[in-house]
Amino acid sequence: MELVGEEKKIQTLFSELRLADERTAPSFSATWNRAQARALRPRRAFNLSFAAATALLICALVSLAWWSRHWQRTRQPNVVAIAPSGVVPDLKPSEVAPASKVSPTPSGSEPKKPASAEHRFEVSARLRAERLAARQEANLLANAKKQATAISSWQSPTATLLSSPNDDLLKSLPQLNESANDLKSFLPNTPK
Amino acid sequence: MDIAELKAELETLHSASFGWALSCCRRDRGEAEDVLQTVYLKILEGKARFRGEAAFKTWLFAVIRKTAAGEYRRKLLRSLKLITGAEQTGDRASPEAGPGAAFEKSEIQIRFQRALKSLPARQREALHLVFYEDLSLREAADVMGISIGSARQHYERGKKRLRETLDTTEVAYGISWRRKENPNAV
Repeated sequence: MELVGEEKKIQTLFSELRLADERTAPSFSATWNRAQARALRPRRAFNLSFAAATALLICALVSLAWWSRHWQRTRQPNVVAIAPSGVVPDLKPSEVAPASKVSPTPSGSEPKKPASAEHRFEVSARLRAERLAARQEANLLANAKKQATAISSWQSPTATLLSSPNDDLLKSLPQLNESANDLKSFLPNTPK
Repeated sequence: MDIAELKAELETLHSASFGWALSCCRRDRGEAEDVLQTVYLKILEGKARFRGEAAFKTWLFAVIRKTAAGEYRRKLLRSLKLITGAEQTGDRASPEAGPGAAFEKSEIQIRFQRALKSLPARQREALHLVFYEDLSLREAADVMGISIGSARQHYERGKKRLRETLDTTEVAYGISWRRKENPNAV
């Protein structure tokens, strides 16, 4: 690269700097030997950051597994519970039967397929869901009734201010065929 | 390239490598030594491998630059965590900081180094690679991992800024000298 004017000045300054650095540079053999010694040094077996990261990863995996398992268990009953009562499939008596009855039939009759644990679990889950739905429905009904009674018996807080002892007079009208004496009773400050 | 050949090449380039490491570490001698040692270690362990895709010097300088950047990041993290930061900086006495070193340098050199430090890293690197290491702009671009156009821009801007900084320091020095000569002037 051809240098002109200022560039030459800069070049001179840099070459001065290089000379100074060369004088104070550490020897190659010393640096190389130190690097070799570092290479031969046994590595620390326990790396704290690596261990922490691994522990964190394991924790995350375990919690994910637990959550997915829990979610799978709770998903089915929830779906049934949310559905309206009519949608809930009717259970056959055989399905409703307790677990003890579901056990294999005597050997003389037609051999029935033994109910698996999964099937039993499904039936009990459905029953539980149905019971839960019924309880929820009852609760809703009771709440609605409570609300209705509260609304019908509601009174304005200022209703008492509107009532007065002369309510009867104000609310009644004199009849045309009433006697004069009776009519006088409507007049204020008249001795009866 | 076997280890003996590598060693010979590294020995030839050792002083230039040290100069480049110094520039990458903002003229911190202790840190530059550490960086150079780490680079040799990387080469010994095979973490940094020369594949002949570029010139050996270019490759070595790129490794030094990356290692210095990594060390700088680690140092920054350490200082953020406040772990043994004070001890390390206290233990490592930079020869540059010593009074003897300062006396050895000429006043121009001191000003020049101050001006160099004030430059942005890329500009400083471009100037160093071209003027100190006698690399071409293309080689400098390879070392810095940027395009030749960017390298040229950094080089030109660096030159301009260096000149400006040197000019302003000259003016400032002039004023201070005049003030010293005649304190009752103002």
